[in-house]
Amino acid sequence: MQTNTPDLEVANGSNLVAAFHLAQRAPLILRRQGNMIPHTSVNSGKNPEDYGVIEQLLFSCLQSGDDKSALLCTEELAARFGVTDEKVTGLRGLYEEATAENRPTLEKCLQKYDLMLSENPVNLPILKRRVALLRSLSRPADAISSLINLLDAVPTDAEAWCELADLYYSQGMSSQAAFCLEEALLIVPNAWNIHAFLGEILYSNALSSDGEDSFSLLEGSIHRFCRSIELCTDYLRGLYGLILATLLLKKNQHLDKHSEGPSAQTRSPLTSKILDELTIFARERLNEIVKSRTSNHLIWKGNQGELIAAKELLDRLDSSTL
Amino acid sequence: MALQGVEQTILRDPALFYWIVFPITIVMILTGILRHYATVLMNNPPKPASTLAESRERLGLIRGVNLRNNCHAVLSKESFEMRKNYLVSAYQSGAFLKDPANRGQPPANPMTDPAGMEAMMGMMKGNMMMMIPQTLIMSWINAFFSGFVILKLPFPLTIRFKSMLQSGVMTRDLDVRWVSSLSWYFLNLFGLQSVFGFILGSDNAASHMSQQMASMNPAAGINPFQPGQDPDKLYQNEAENLEVMEHFCILDGVEERVLRHYAGRKSY
Repeated sequence: MQTNTPDLEVANGSNLVAAFHLAQRAPLILRRQGNMIPHTSVNSGKNPEDYGVIEQLLFSCLQSGDDKSALLCTEELAARFGVTDEKVTGLRGLYEEATAENRPTLEKCLQKYDLMLSENPVNLPILKRRVALLRSLSRPADAISSLINLLDAVPTDAEAWCELADLYYSQGMSSQAAFCLEEALLIVPNAWNIHAFLGEILYSNALSSDGEDSFSLLEGSIHRFCRSIELCTDYLRGLYGLILATLLLKKNQHLDKHSEGPSAQTRSPLTSKILDELTIFARERLNEIVKSRTSNHLIWKGNQGELIAAKELLDRLDSSTL
Repeated sequence: MALQGVEQTILRDPALFYWIVFPITIVMILTGILRHYATVLMNNPPKPASTLAESRERLGLIRGVNLRNNCHAVLSKESFEMRKNYLVSAYQSGAFLKDPANRGQPPANPMTDPAGMEAMMGMMKGNMMMMIPQTLIMSWINAFFSGFVILKLPFPLTIRFKSMLQSGVMTRDLDVRWVSSLSWYFLNLFGLQSVFGFILGSDNAASHMSQQMASMNPAAGINPFQPGQDPDKLYQNEAENLEVMEHFCILDGVEERVLRHYAGRKSY
């Protein structure tokens, strides 16, 4: 939950299968650790890493609906760090939100958060939970404004910037979303998934605009996808986006040439030769990835969705060129 | 001067060795370990910001530093200029300050400011933790073992080492190879770092060098400001740093780079 995790899950399908498998082991892990510690001593033979494991376990349990184990996890953490610890209260709130049956219960959670924040206005986990809760109550405007307040105070939180970008994007405000992602990238400059996500936003923005804007947006999008591939050579989303963006830019350049002459094309450093090469490169690469990942699909089980989408794109391209 | 070529011999009771060298060494190691745990116990973590405005004041500076360090990898020319202008004007107008009204006034005296006082107390505690045991041990050695010559080094040394190895023994003619008890203490004091590193792990509090380094470089922590430091001055500095920056963008030409590096490995 803390800041500066470079592998932020931005709009990636979270890995449900893996989460489920982890959650199935929850009783085992909890029992093993429960035997070892009586609740008295602080230093009870537990490594600091064990608590990280318990936190992860809590998330997996909540995702797979094992609420009983999740409650055990929060109690375990509360026993070690105290009930008033910021992070523990945040996780506790997460648990309560996840198990809330109906809207009034969620509203009650919100009131509880407001109360906690009136005591300690910089309780970051609770501030973030509050934003998430507002979002799940489908009040995106409130969520955005309170997230902006949060970011005004804590401008170095990449996670929050990404969340704000996602919120803006869900409201159709692409340029604001792009700004937020750039801010997040300033904090974690080598996060290839954020680069690719920024590329996706620029691409969809380019789809809805026309003329000069569309050209520059597409160029920016290609830059971003390339950068994400440069940082992570096998990044499927980056390659997928690169194919789409290069094809679209090529098509637009083609149309542009027919209509007005070489206005945008001469200005652009991306000649159609480079675009072609990029498309071919990305296709080859994507092909390889799809092949290797389908063959040992046990490892890549969680990301089947992306893989299927990539396959479909390749099939579509093959049929269109034939 | 000592006669050349003639080995100086001093008849020492071998018990001297066991009753002075070992006690001093063991006491030094034990105090080092004790100091480590005492520091760990008394160390209170830097206080997090208590209001949103305070948090903004602290992190606003880090934002500028981030922009300066990472803009080449991320931003295009226009978005860099936009952010630069925003941050520079915000820094210069003091928009990030906790209370803009106090701007330009001399910083509060750290002695009267409770937060500054606390930080100073922390530093003081650290220094005390070094000073008190050292004073005690040194007076202990002075009281019991002063003037003993306890070791003979197995190798010759030049005359310059005399002050280092024979403090507390005022004999001009003694060979440099003889080591006095007080000097043995000093050698232990400075030479046991690696032993502590071995016993306690590399980032232990017993090694005072790291402690001094830590107090000199607080930017690693959450609060970039030292007590008594004026945030406004740091902001002005940062604004200047940003203003003179020259921007380039590694996204320019990234396509060629990708093609050259990754596509080149395959033959089409």
